[in-house]
Amino acid sequence: MNQRLLHTPEGVRDIYGKEYARKLSIEQKLHSLIAGYGYEDIQTPTFEYFDVFSREIGTIPSKELYKFFDKEGNTLALRPDFTPSMARCAAKYFMEEKHPIRFVYQGNTFINTSNLQGKLKEVTQMGAELINDSSVEADGEIIALIVESLKAVGLKEFQVSIGMVEYFKGLCQEAGLDEETEMDLRACISGKNFFAAQELLMERNVSDPYREILLKVADLFNSMTSFEDAKRLVNNERSLSAIERLEKLDAVLKLYGVEKYVSYDLGMLSKYNYYTGVIFKAYTYGVGNAIITGGRYNTLLSRFGKDAPAVGFAIVIDDLMEALSRQQGPLPDIHEVKAMYYDADKDGDFARALKEAQMLRSNGQKVALLAKVDGEGKE
Amino acid sequence: MDAKFNDERYLTFALGKGRLANKTLEILEKIGITCEEMKDKSSRKLIFVNEELKMKFFLAKGPDVPTYVELGSADVGVVGYDTVLEENRNVYEVLDLGFGKCRMCVCGPESAKELLRHHERIRVASKYPNIAKDYFYNKKHQTVDIIKLNGSVELGPLVSLSDVIVDIVETGSTLKENGLQVLEEVCPLSARMIVNPVSMQMEKARIRDLVLRIREYLDSEKA
Repeated sequence: MNQRLLHTPEGVRDIYGKEYARKLSIEQKLHSLIAGYGYEDIQTPTFEYFDVFSREIGTIPSKELYKFFDKEGNTLALRPDFTPSMARCAAKYFMEEKHPIRFVYQGNTFINTSNLQGKLKEVTQMGAELINDSSVEADGEIIALIVESLKAVGLKEFQVSIGMVEYFKGLCQEAGLDEETEMDLRACISGKNFFAAQELLMERNVSDPYREILLKVADLFNSMTSFEDAKRLVNNERSLSAIERLEKLDAVLKLYGVEKYVSYDLGMLSKYNYYTGVIFKAYTYGVGNAIITGGRYNTLLSRFGKDAPAVGFAIVIDDLMEALSRQQGPLPDIHEVKAMYYDADKDGDFARALKEAQMLRSNGQKVALLAKVDGEGKE
Repeated sequence: MDAKFNDERYLTFALGKGRLANKTLEILEKIGITCEEMKDKSSRKLIFVNEELKMKFFLAKGPDVPTYVELGSADVGVVGYDTVLEENRNVYEVLDLGFGKCRMCVCGPESAKELLRHHERIRVASKYPNIAKDYFYNKKHQTVDIIKLNGSVELGPLVSLSDVIVDIVETGSTLKENGLQVLEEVCPLSARMIVNPVSMQMEKARIRDLVLRIREYLDSEKA
C-alpha cells in the first residue's frame, strides 16, 4: 500500500461530515445576509496572471504565491486573496458604470506559507466589495455587514477595530518625514513596537513636538481616548479630515446600532500602501489572528484602468469555524437523515421502500435507502 | 473606546525557560503579580495558575515562545530579542524589559576581518540562520553560505567548518579563550515582552494595565 496515496500535503485538508455541514451552513447564512444588502455574486478564476497579484497590487509577498507556467510561458498564480480579482473585474466589465457596484464572492485562496507553523495553505474566504462609492455611508455599510455577519453565525464576543491611515500620513507630512522614515515608522507602529519607533525617531533626528506626537500614535497604551484628543495633537488638514471622517462614520454606525462592537485605533496601520482610508479588523477569542480584514482602497482600481473608489472586507471562513468551535464546544449534530430499510430478498419490498422514500423526500426529509442485513433495520 | 467583556478569562503567559523566566517573575512580583505555585521547585506541573488574578503561566523553550504567542495559546510572552528576530512571527513587541542585555555579533579569527570587507562568498555558521541571512544579505549585501548549528558555534572557525560565526556575545570570554574576536556587531539584544495581536484587542484593558505598571517600575529602577 502506497502511504502517499492516503495523505494530503501539509497545509491542506479534507473537510467532511458534521464539520462540512456546519461550514456550508455558515457560508449559507453569511451569503444570504450579504446578498440581502444587494450584493451580487461573482466568481473569478482560481488562478490568474501573476501580475494581477504582484507586489504593487497584492498584499501577499510574491514568494508566498503558488506560481506556475502556462504553455506559452506566462507566469500564473493561484489567488492568495480576492480583492485584486474583484478590482480587475470591476474595471473590465463596468468601465463606464458610475453607480455603486456591489460584489459578494466566496472561494478558496492559496498561500504558500512555511511548513510546521500550524497554518493552512488553502483557506475559504467570503467577502464583499462596494465599488464606485466613496461615501462614509459606504464605509458604514461594510462595517455594519461585518458586525451582522459575525452575529449571524452566533459569535457573541468579538470586536471590530477601525483605523485610519490618513491621520498618520498627515502627521508624517506635517513633521516633514522623508518617505523612507515614514515607511520604517509605519512598520514599527503596525507591529506595535513602541521602542523601535522611539529609536527610529531619535536616529533620524525628528524634531521634538513631532517626535512626541508620533510616539503617541505608536503607543498603544496612550491616553488618546477620544476624537477630540486626537484632533488636538495635529495641525494639518489631512489628519483633521481623517478624524472628521471617523466622527461621521461613528454616527453612521450608531444608526446601524453596531457601535458597541467597534473601537478606534489610530495606531492600526496596514503594512501595505494599498489602503487609502479606513481599515478594519475583527477579532475574537480562540484564533491567533484577525478573522476579518478589510478597508478602503481608492487607488487600486486605477491600476486596472478604472478610476474608482472602493471598500470591502474578507472573512476567513476556516478561522471563523475554529473560533466558533473553541467558543461553543463540540459541533451539534445537524445531519438528520432518516434510514429507509428494505428487504432485498423480498419481492416488491424495494419498490415499496422507494415509494415511501420519494414521498418523504418530496416533503423535504433527508432519506437514505438501505438494504436490510440480518439483525439490522428495526429503525 | 474599548469594548469590555469576559472577566472570567485567564491571561496566559509563556516564559522562556531559565534566567529569563526567573527575572520576569521577579519583576512581576515587584508590581504585585505573584505565582506561589511556581516557586515550588519540586513541582512537576507544567502550568501554574494564580486564581485570584486569573492568570496562567507556563515555561517553554525560548524559540517556542513566539509560536505559542502567535497562535494565541499564550496571550503574552517573554523572550530574548534574538528569538523574536530569528522566529519573525506575527506578534506585537510591546516592551523592552531591559535585562538579559547582550549583543548579536559576527565573530571569527582576526584573519577573517578581511573577508568581511569585500563581497566575497564566505561560510557563516550560526544558531540563528535567519538573523545571519538578513544581516549579510540585506545590510551588508554579501552573499554567504549559512550553516545552521545547534550549539558550541565557536567551534565553526576552529575546525574550519566556517569562516566566521554569528552568535550572541555576553562577556566575550569564550571567544577570547578560543582565539576568536568580535568582528562586527549585528544588533544589541535584551528581553522583550511580546503580545498576541488578538489578545491585544480582546484583553486591551488588562494588557495595557500590565504593561503600564511594568513600564513604570522599569523607569523607577532606571532613575
